[in-house]
Amino acid sequence: MKISENKIYDPAIECMDRESLRALQSERLRATVAHVYANVPVYRQRMDEAGVKPEDIRGIEDISKLPFTNKTDLRDQFPFGLLAVPQSEIVRIQGSSGTTGKPIVSGYTENDVEVWTEMVARSLTSAGAGKEDIIQVTYGYGLFTGGLGAHQGASRVGAMVIPMSSGNTQRQLMMMHDLGSTMLCCTPSYAIFLGESLREMGYDPKEFRLKSGCFGAEPWTEEMREKLEELFDINAYNIYGLTEIAGPGVAFECPAKNGMHINEDHVYAEIVDPATGEPLPYGESGELVLTTISKTGMPMLRYRTHDICVLDETPCSCGRTHVRMSRITGRTDDMLIIRGVNVFPSQIESVLLQIPGVAPHYMLVVDRINSTDRLEVQVELTDEMFSDTVADIQKIKNRITEQIKSVVGVAAIVKLVPPKSIPRSEGKSKRIIDNRGLTSK
Amino acid sequence: MFITQITVYLENNQGTLRSLTKLLAEHNIDMIALSIADTLHFGLARVLVREKDIEPAIAALRENGFMAKTNRVLCVGVQNQPAGLDSVLAIIEDSDISIEYMYSLNYILGSRALLVMRLSSEQMTSEQIAEMLDSKGVTLINQTEINRL
Repeated sequence: MKISENKIYDPAIECMDRESLRALQSERLRATVAHVYANVPVYRQRMDEAGVKPEDIRGIEDISKLPFTNKTDLRDQFPFGLLAVPQSEIVRIQGSSGTTGKPIVSGYTENDVEVWTEMVARSLTSAGAGKEDIIQVTYGYGLFTGGLGAHQGASRVGAMVIPMSSGNTQRQLMMMHDLGSTMLCCTPSYAIFLGESLREMGYDPKEFRLKSGCFGAEPWTEEMREKLEELFDINAYNIYGLTEIAGPGVAFECPAKNGMHINEDHVYAEIVDPATGEPLPYGESGELVLTTISKTGMPMLRYRTHDICVLDETPCSCGRTHVRMSRITGRTDDMLIIRGVNVFPSQIESVLLQIPGVAPHYMLVVDRINSTDRLEVQVELTDEMFSDTVADIQKIKNRITEQIKSVVGVAAIVKLVPPKSIPRSEGKSKRIIDNRGLTSK
Repeated sequence: MFITQITVYLENNQGTLRSLTKLLAEHNIDMIALSIADTLHFGLARVLVREKDIEPAIAALRENGFMAKTNRVLCVGVQNQPAGLDSVLAIIEDSDISIEYMYSLNYILGSRALLVMRLSSEQMTSEQIAEMLDSKGVTLINQTEINRL
């Protein structure tokens, strides 16, 4: 593995003493609360219901007085109900999966794009990026925040960006080889796939100049890190983010590889008990709740991420003072991440309900084969779907496959199974069998 | 003119077909014909049984978690000699009828070999197809004759 130097993009902020950081957070939280109370009816209504006035929020310690925001709020207020500025101030829309057929979207002002860019620039710098680097961005470009997020951050640090977007393994490796990419940004599972394909295609790993990579958009493990570092002879860093807050770069790993520093001057992190919503102290495992304190377009107050992790504020050997979050060890809801795309079982259910003759009895089986996620959707046959000809059955099967691809955005293998073969359970039925072993730490 | 066929959905797993034959064996049901259509992910077993066995077979299959249903198909008797089948297919072709699938029975009825056919046409209903074949002298085997096999 290559030796990593400790580069810090903005030492004044990233290594600020925690007392000054708290003062900065307090000031920014007060401004954010005043801004959303004045401009977003839902936030004002929620705060009024909770009996909280903007002036009750005197500092960051008062944050737990504020009501939570949930993914359902983004769906209910779709598309622009949560904007805190006139639409004319919005310069960008990004989006990700909602829990049903519709995506959720987030609006960014020029300031918000700047905040996000800065967060990614810090992440890439921490992974060693600078002017001399050639950064291959293999996240998808589009509504998904991965591609454009990494692109903006890489441009900010002055690197040469190769905007490859996702897919086409052969071409990815050719460009990486011929142009001498020094850094790679993509999902960790795809990076492993690239590393394995490199050998199969007959390349000599020594002919590559890759030194590090920022990998995210899906949960991964220490074993995967070891594999990646070995495959490419690089340093592999974890990066975390979500569209609702900004995108990748909300938190990132430093060379200590011991948790991801949350950009706390822009995003305030809490851990709460997922069942009661009660705040938990640092060091305890619970649901990550994030508040944006410098965004203006679509600020998020106490957003429930549903990601389970632990926060650590003890000093880090890299010198950064911002709190670190552990790897995501689980979810409080049933969201799956398939090849970097968020998938909710409820989306699959809504697809099935829209196709005549199909009943919403289904099971999702996820495997990882050759470093690639494979989603199998088992759907029970009904009398209406069944026929004595193969063509009729194939037709309905293809229709389900196409609808899932178009609504959910991932290719799934649809498997028709006999009636009543999927277990019925009382109350909340089990819809997922995840064989990837990613979330048990 | 039509006979009844049972179609059973088979998952593409080892042992699925055996579980079907085992079930029929346990219910003492004799299969007159069995044809399997296989695809990458699933198979369809098309089964002929005698009329008295149809209801018990369907009930047993459904009770044991199989997807099964009945439908009507034609059973055609062709001369058991060269050009026997060809002369029937020539009539089918001339009438612009499509063959969805067909399979043969391991039985000879008199001088005739037996084939199950599922035919379709954009212009004709199944009844009209059957009547047309009958009018052109094609031998159609009925359910009573099947029961006696």
